[in-house]
Amino acid sequence: MENLIIEETKYTPSINLDAKKGLIELVGKSYPENTFEFYKPMMDWIEEYFNGNELPKTIINFEIIYFNSSSSKLFFDFLDLIEEMANAGKYIEINWIYDKDNDSALEAGEDFKEDFEKLNFILAEK
Amino acid sequence: MDITKLEDFLDDSGIVFLSYGGMLTQDLISNMTDALEKEAEKNNVSMSASTNIFTIFVELSQNMMNYSKSKAENNQKFDPKGLVLVGYNKEDNSYYVLSRNIVDITDKDKILPKLEEINLLSRDEVKKKYRELRRSGLDKHNKGAGIGFFEISKRCDNIDFNFKQINENKYQFMFQANIINKQKQEK
Repeated sequence: MENLIIEETKYTPSINLDAKKGLIELVGKSYPENTFEFYKPMMDWIEEYFNGNELPKTIINFEIIYFNSSSSKLFFDFLDLIEEMANAGKYIEINWIYDKDNDSALEAGEDFKEDFEKLNFILAEK
Repeated sequence: MDITKLEDFLDDSGIVFLSYGGMLTQDLISNMTDALEKEAEKNNVSMSASTNIFTIFVELSQNMMNYSKSKAENNQKFDPKGLVLVGYNKEDNSYYVLSRNIVDITDKDKILPKLEEINLLSRDEVKKKYRELRRSGLDKHNKGAGIGFFEISKRCDNIDFNFKQINENKYQFMFQANIINKQKQEK
């Protein structure tokens, strides 16, 4: 399965989807103009990856400095999909990486952790 | 035009920057966000306060941008002249983000009840409602999740808004969010 790499811009994070390493990584800011459109290739890739192309262990690194409300919804839907996969027996670890001075990023991570209790969701201070 | 007067006015009012008139674009918004980031760094704004300011600024600007675009796409007569500004209030060391634009009465009728509801809620209730709406996707539309005003409210200390009637169908919508620049508490 091909990797998918999307370069960082001023308002979208770098996206690194690496099937061979079992790594899904988002780093940067997220406030695209058309959030759902922007993330569609990523969502499609993830569905394909977990459709038999996944490694025994998948690591997801989220390092988002700030994001708009449509990205917040998108991340929720993303984690919802991941939870579905985890419930189906896939081993997935999620690292929510935040700067120690960024209380909002920590709070956002705490909320997601609570919303998805079944996920292996780790709050990781940078 | 006396530019010095304008500069004095901006300085006295603590206005960090503003955009007035014309349509907002995604590029313009991100350039303004860059300028905001530099300003926050220069003034030692805590990272928490600054990410909240950026997020609120982005929400309000993108609201206005999407609103103007949807009107333009539907070929509706529309005045895109909007105002968005970020200012600093020395007295209480707070920042504010203010937006003002013209909306139709039908949109006013959608926005106003939401804002009135938010104003009755405590901060914790706003956060709870935000998460409920994010989960249910109840207010989701093609551009967003319909939770922008909840996002703003959970990231600021208070909001202020009003609708001023211009004519039978149009209102001037003013919205302001205030963010106190709390110093990071030592743990």
